[in-house]
Amino acid sequence: MNIVKWWWGLLLCFGLVALGRVFLPLPFAIEVLIFSIYTMGCNYLLGRVGFISFGQPAYLAVGAYAAAFYFFYLGNNPYLGLLIGIVVGMVVSLIIGPLFVRLRGDYFALVNLALAVIIFYLMQKVLANVTHGDNGLWFLTSLTATPILDLTRPDQFFIFAFLAAFALWVFYKYLDDTIFGALCLATKMNDDKVKSLGYSNFNIRLVAFVIANTTTAFAGAMYAVYLGFVSPAITGPERAADPVVVTILGGVGTLYGPLVGSVVYTGLKDVLSKVFGNWELVIGFLLVFIMLAGERGIWGSLEPQLRRLFTRKAAGGVSQ
Amino acid sequence: MSSKDLVLAVSGLNVAYNESKVLFDVDLNVRRNQVVACVGRNGAGKSTMLKTIAGFMRPTSGTITSDGESLIGRAAFVIADMGIKYIPQDKKVFSDLTVRENLELGSYASQDYDWMPVFDYFPKLKVLLDRKAGYLSGGERQMLMIGRAILGRPKMLLVDEPTEGLAPSIVMHLRAVFSELAKKTALVIVEQNLPLVCAIADKIYALKEGRIMAELTERASIKPEMCEPYL
Amino acid sequence: MNAQLLISGVIFGLSLGGIFFLMSIGLSLCFGLMRVITLDQLLYYSIGAYLTYTIGLLTGDVWLGIIGGVIVAAMSSFLVERVVFRRIYERDLAFSMITSFGVLIGGVGVIKYFWGLIPRPVPAPIAAQVNILGTDVPSYRLVIIGVAMLVYLGIWIFLNRTIIGKAIRAGTEDCGHVEGLGINVYRLFTITFIIAGALSGLAGGLYAPLIMVDPQMGLEVLAFVFMVVIIGGLGSIKGTLISSLLVGQVVSLGSLIYAPLAQMAPFAVMLLILLIKPTGLFGSTLQKR
Repeated sequence: MNIVKWWWGLLLCFGLVALGRVFLPLPFAIEVLIFSIYTMGCNYLLGRVGFISFGQPAYLAVGAYAAAFYFFYLGNNPYLGLLIGIVVGMVVSLIIGPLFVRLRGDYFALVNLALAVIIFYLMQKVLANVTHGDNGLWFLTSLTATPILDLTRPDQFFIFAFLAAFALWVFYKYLDDTIFGALCLATKMNDDKVKSLGYSNFNIRLVAFVIANTTTAFAGAMYAVYLGFVSPAITGPERAADPVVVTILGGVGTLYGPLVGSVVYTGLKDVLSKVFGNWELVIGFLLVFIMLAGERGIWGSLEPQLRRLFTRKAAGGVSQ
Repeated sequence: MSSKDLVLAVSGLNVAYNESKVLFDVDLNVRRNQVVACVGRNGAGKSTMLKTIAGFMRPTSGTITSDGESLIGRAAFVIADMGIKYIPQDKKVFSDLTVRENLELGSYASQDYDWMPVFDYFPKLKVLLDRKAGYLSGGERQMLMIGRAILGRPKMLLVDEPTEGLAPSIVMHLRAVFSELAKKTALVIVEQNLPLVCAIADKIYALKEGRIMAELTERASIKPEMCEPYL
Repeated sequence: MNAQLLISGVIFGLSLGGIFFLMSIGLSLCFGLMRVITLDQLLYYSIGAYLTYTIGLLTGDVWLGIIGGVIVAAMSSFLVERVVFRRIYERDLAFSMITSFGVLIGGVGVIKYFWGLIPRPVPAPIAAQVNILGTDVPSYRLVIIGVAMLVYLGIWIFLNRTIIGKAIRAGTEDCGHVEGLGINVYRLFTITFIIAGALSGLAGGLYAPLIMVDPQMGLEVLAFVFMVVIIGGLGSIKGTLISSLLVGQVVSLGSLIYAPLAQMAPFAVMLLILLIKPTGLFGSTLQKR
């Protein structure tokens, strides 16, 4: 495949993000980046594998608390904390995966939601001795500066987040192009055909499950490093819908949907909570409206238009 | 004959399942109390045609009228209320309800609480009234389906493969029932059982790959050999 | 653990189970007939609670409030069915789940707009206590148990002795056949939605005096309702009853044994049951028809 064609979308997109950094406040930019990584997992599960998960906050919390425990009790290297978050996320997904993935689509969604709530209660009450319950774990001051990019400094953290997000997007785009990516889509549409081709639906779904949730755990660990504290609120029942809403807003199954959705969602939340104090109302109705009107989301509806625009241009160039 | 007198007039019907087209420019006429059969191989589109007429599927183009009134766009239950009852091929009845309750639903829908005709055709049902429908045999279910449908004296029955998988004795019974029914009700029967169909049909349409290939209207020419090429 | 504690624990568990039953029956019914997941039922639960609070405050009569809550909840459910669900019956389950969640979240916003964020207390309509087997038990909890039993009986009679109820039962098996007979299935859907909304509102209204009424209450119980419905099996009334009683006891007695774990125990039970029977105790398979 044409190298330029493969890369130019990614470069353009992240170029825009970098540009946005110039105009938008730093916290907003960082929040958008982390949130879109968080959403990417959900987006992949829903769009590529067909699994809707209301329980992504569970894995967010797993990554965040894994990193938090490390920082609070063991050490203070941010990179190591991030790595621990990723690894724990992967391990948890591998353990839970086989049980959850075997469930039919909608029991899956409900069970994941229950998981999110359970982890919430775990962190809030059951393990309150180690997690300090609702007060959360604070460790901002214990983080040490890191070489090359000092993650304790927000502007350098942004660069790290930017690079990490870019790397992840490259990974996901690559995944789409592999046989595995095609199989995920196939599994979503037609179980039996995939089986008759000799592949195991269960294995495909399990791998996708682990990839998506490890990504989410990574986002959780990033939150831990960036905010310097973790509390059960990140996986409270109100937060369960965040990734789903953003996924839908951005466009299910699209590559850049999470980014677009995050920008819109975070932006709306910021603006509306200053004006309204009641942004749930808007998000709720927006979600219903989108589902009824088109379900392709903002980027989902834009993408085909843009693609047509650009291929026409390219075709025009070639035919000369 | 104007289409106003036809119990069913289908013209230029095109139906598609998502992206793939199933019926191509189908024309079909049924007169009052006429028995019309549709034969064809599996997948020819016969069931789709019945479903579309009954209102369970929307055609992409074409017209369907009954006594001059258009059926397209109406909900399936509205069409049933108009006197056109659809009997699917799945031999499914409401298993958790008794035979009596199944019939009660039919009565409730059609406001016809006279079950005598049903028991005339199917005396067995009277015996089975309090049995849960899930315990009925295939033949008994088919009888219940038809019995339920004739409540309200419909003007037309759309029957999809009624004798599929049934024992010969039951098939004979059904053949007699259809013959009797035809005196007051138009029948459109989709069937693979050629001898049955040729015995009772006034007209046969042969369907192949979504198109009407032949229309046999002469009683004399309706013989199994004439239909064979289309199966 | 002495006998007194055990008895009050069991009663507590039964009343909790009763509330869970009322809360979950709406979801179960709607799924059974229409094959949609209706998370918005938790909004009607909140509406029931809030109306109980407001009407109770204005009139001084909490029972009146509960009745008002039920009526408004049922009306809201009807409205949402008309405006939203009518259009999405043919879509797959994930669709209805997301859309109904949108309604729930939006509704939470509406509640916040009218009532604000501060949790509101609702006085119990009966403060008296009754002595059962040597233990003092709040009469109100017994009333809840009584109401839940009456509702179950009422639903049973409705589904098994009325023609509309039988039509609904037939519809849970095959809506196409019901429609083919000439029955207006869309009216059945609406009726079911209204009943579901009313029962969710009743759950909220009855529960209100026992908890603080706050905008997030629907979301907080969301997971529990899920667990009850999954364990019992979507679409089965009997299953919902049994699992709500089960979960009620697990939470209640569990909290006597080890409080923090009690909230999580139902989850463990659910996982266990799903391992053995992936569709819950009495559930039908989650196939879209």
